[in-house]
Amino acid sequence: MKRGALCAAVFAITCSAIALQLRAGQAAVLTPPVQANYMLNCMGCHLADGSGAAGKVPSVRDSMLILSRSTAGRRYLVQVPGAALSPLSDLELAQVLSWMVRNLSARTVASDFTDFTAAEVADYRRAPLVNVRERRAQLLAVAADRAAR
Amino acid sequence: MTARVPYAGNPLDAFVERMTRDLARRVSRRSFLGNVGALLFTTGVPLLPVARGAAPTAARPEAAADPGDPQTCEYWRHCAIDGFLCACCGGSIQSCPPGTEASAITWVGTCHNPADGHDYIVSYNDCCGKSQCGRCLCNRNEGDKPLYMPFKSNDYNWCAGSKVGIAYHCSTARVVGVAK
Repeated sequence: MKRGALCAAVFAITCSAIALQLRAGQAAVLTPPVQANYMLNCMGCHLADGSGAAGKVPSVRDSMLILSRSTAGRRYLVQVPGAALSPLSDLELAQVLSWMVRNLSARTVASDFTDFTAAEVADYRRAPLVNVRERRAQLLAVAADRAAR
Repeated sequence: MTARVPYAGNPLDAFVERMTRDLARRVSRRSFLGNVGALLFTTGVPLLPVARGAAPTAARPEAAADPGDPQTCEYWRHCAIDGFLCACCGGSIQSCPPGTEASAITWVGTCHNPADGHDYIVSYNDCCGKSQCGRCLCNRNEGDKPLYMPFKSNDYNWCAGSKVGIAYHCSTARVVGVAK
């Protein structure tokens, strides 16, 4: 009886020690700065995987890769209000846009994809985009038409 | 017809049988039951909900890295919240109460954890689909911006983005990253 109780006590203490060690081992790992900027300025609406909310927030998982292939599409991506009006600097916005294309796209990003630059963002950002939905639909239709040929 | 040899083909079965028979020879039934009872009692008592419910906040194993009480407005993750704390409404710091659903779209800010000095990225997901909880109202607004900066404003009813309607119940504060 005494030996059994001792074994049980050792077993319980071991389990408790493992549980405490697991909790204590959770050290803070810094989020990469570009991803952190996405989280703080975009993720609230576009969600962690870029899928958005149907009918309310457009998904970027297909559209960003398509739009980033044309000059007009890249201009749109910079001028869309959530991007242009964000508190991010031109360089930070360029980095976040490139990160989004590379990390949130459902398809594989081609090796010839060109990252956004601070100069490119500065060039497009100041001009306001008014008809956002219409412009997006128009650009995606043009891209689909071009792909079908 | 040959005699059947139990477990002859399985070394594991043979081992267990040998151990069981050996145990039965050495230990009385009453002694065995006593040992099993001691084992269950020693391991089971710490798992009882009464023991956990009565444990003071300071004794929580994670308290050193995550200090404070999630049911208070002063808790560090609530630095930018504006609403009722789900931890007081039948949910927790990161889960909605039964009968409500988290709005996917939300606003995201950072809060400083005094325990480790890091600024954590916190997502304030609203829980929607029921009327206001009414308990533990917390309105700290650190880093909050006016409505014309929607991605930095906590005055929006983020339940507008949920599938269960715009009825707001309470807010969670989920850590999703570490800013610095």
